Amino acid sequence: MQLTRENVTMYGTIAALLIGAAIPFLTDNMFIVNLAVLMLISIIFASAWNLLAYSGQGSLGHAAFFGIGAYASTIIAVKFGITPFVTIFIGAAVAAIIGILIGLTCVRLKEWFLAMVTFGFAIIVQTLTVSVLAPMTGGWDGIPSPRLVSPSVPGYQLIEYYAILIITIGAIVAIWYIMRSKVGLAFLAIRENETEARAAGVDPVRYRLLAFGISAFIAGVAGALQIHHIGYITPELYGVDNSFWPITYVILGGLGTLAGPIVGTVVLTIIWEGLKETGLTFARYVIIGVILILTIIFLPKGLVSLPEQVQEWVKRRKRKEPEGEPVAAG
Amino acid sequence: MDEFSIFLQIIFWGLYAGCIYILLATGLNLIFGVMKVVNFAHGEFLMIGAYITATVFFLTGFNPFVILLLSMVVLVGIGAVVERLCFRPILGTGKLNEIFLSIGLIYIFQNGAAMIWGDAWQSVKSPYESMTVPIGPLSVPLDYIIIMVVTAAILCGLFLFLKKTTIGMQMRATSQNRKGAMLVGIDVERIDVISFGLGCALAAAAGTLWVVSGQVFNPYMGSIPAVKAFAIIILGGLGSIPGAIIGGLLMGLAENGAAFLLGGIWKDAVSFIILIVVLIIRPTGLFGGKEG
Repeated sequence: MQLTRENVTMYGTIAALLIGAAIPFLTDNMFIVNLAVLMLISIIFASAWNLLAYSGQGSLGHAAFFGIGAYASTIIAVKFGITPFVTIFIGAAVAAIIGILIGLTCVRLKEWFLAMVTFGFAIIVQTLTVSVLAPMTGGWDGIPSPRLVSPSVPGYQLIEYYAILIITIGAIVAIWYIMRSKVGLAFLAIRENETEARAAGVDPVRYRLLAFGISAFIAGVAGALQIHHIGYITPELYGVDNSFWPITYVILGGLGTLAGPIVGTVVLTIIWEGLKETGLTFARYVIIGVILILTIIFLPKGLVSLPEQVQEWVKRRKRKEPEGEPVAAG
Repeated sequence: MDEFSIFLQIIFWGLYAGCIYILLATGLNLIFGVMKVVNFAHGEFLMIGAYITATVFFLTGFNPFVILLLSMVVLVGIGAVVERLCFRPILGTGKLNEIFLSIGLIYIFQNGAAMIWGDAWQSVKSPYESMTVPIGPLSVPLDYIIIMVVTAAILCGLFLFLKKTTIGMQMRATSQNRKGAMLVGIDVERIDVISFGLGCALAAAAGTLWVVSGQVFNPYMGSIPAVKAFAIIILGGLGSIPGAIIGGLLMGLAENGAAFLLGGIWKDAVSFIILIVVLIIRPTGLFGGKEG
């Protein structure tokens, strides 16, 4: 089998889908199913962040949208007694609207100014949640959130798992569709050269806001799913940690690619949980930091570029072999 | 009279908090000016500086204001290593890459510090803890006055260094025009290392002053002051050291004013609200005209 990009992508997708669907049958251990659920949610979250980065905007405060989606969904579900399956998307819509508003303040800014503004925004939202909005949000103590599938339903964990799996696949397909469409092309054009994009008739402000809105929506879905899965919500959701994780996943997997967030999340989750077994606490984060820095310096396109990198390395090795030997046709 | 003294108190608190921000922001500005690097992990150097001062103080009991110098020297070394190993390989690959790399550094430094010193909140008792100086209706802690004097001294020292020494002039030249500096024979990579080290030393000074004033510290304390320092240099204009000084003082005043008027929980949020408002009105900062 030839190791071309298309092959890798196709087989990878099929394998990922099969494994995803089969996990509950492979193990009776609910800990692993639970872990898989959290991993799926992280994949959605990382993909949302990645889409924004795809348009050239790096957010350091995506936890804000994650948290807004979660809070809005919880509060609406509790107040009006609507099933979380519906409120997830209402909450995400709230996150999207706020995302567009914060996007409005940043669209004309340099890329790293935007990083500061989003970082600060997460802190502002957290402050609001525990002060002005405390009667609704329960302040620092948080409030209970309705489960996605009520624990009284038999096999609720499996139903929940497959529901979240389907939403994850839906989110990824949506992002794939956006990246391939004219909108995705516009995002790329803005990222690569704003002046040229404008010359070609692409309105950078409009598309930046669109990217912000979509990304905040998907991040809101991820946040709402996580909270309805856990069943309790606290303002710690807005923490810096929660903003940094999707970045770490995406950088490791491959920035600006569809598969990057998925590969990065899976690999890092396995490393993270593996390190947990060894009993490390702070050292786990140090190791993640080292992995992140090494990736940025030595594998700037992330793990998804690894097959190509290896092929190139092999080719270079072959070229160094003594002359006269026929070079194998690529 | 009473309200007036509360007002004075807030001003004084603000000036003192401003001193720490000024040192942090000036260091960042130095690094940004010369290398054009966005070092998001700058607050971690403040934290390391704080821990070094505290550790030496616990071990030897020296006057912490003397340990400040040691802490600065150690951080020059750490900064130089970080610049050489992490930032130089990715120089020129984009601002976002630098921010992502900083996130890696944040993970490493915060949790490395937690491995060495534990993650509990700690504090240090200054030798001048109970001494106060009467100024008008107030009695101001002596520590605060020393902190302001030390900050002023460090800034004057930096100013003289940049204006009078050869390395300082080379730094200014590199900051103005990197290629031009290379053309006239300046080893810009050496200047990068020196600027980064100096920037980190200023962060260490800020960390030391943080500790000395009796504020609590833990390994995760650095991130928020660092982003505030960024807010300050955006407010003050990129690469402008006078801008950083004015911005730092304003930030310190605004924060303490807000904490008094709205409650302590707003202390952090207020500085970011100011940042966002300023950026909406003037995307290049209050005093700055140059683009980053």
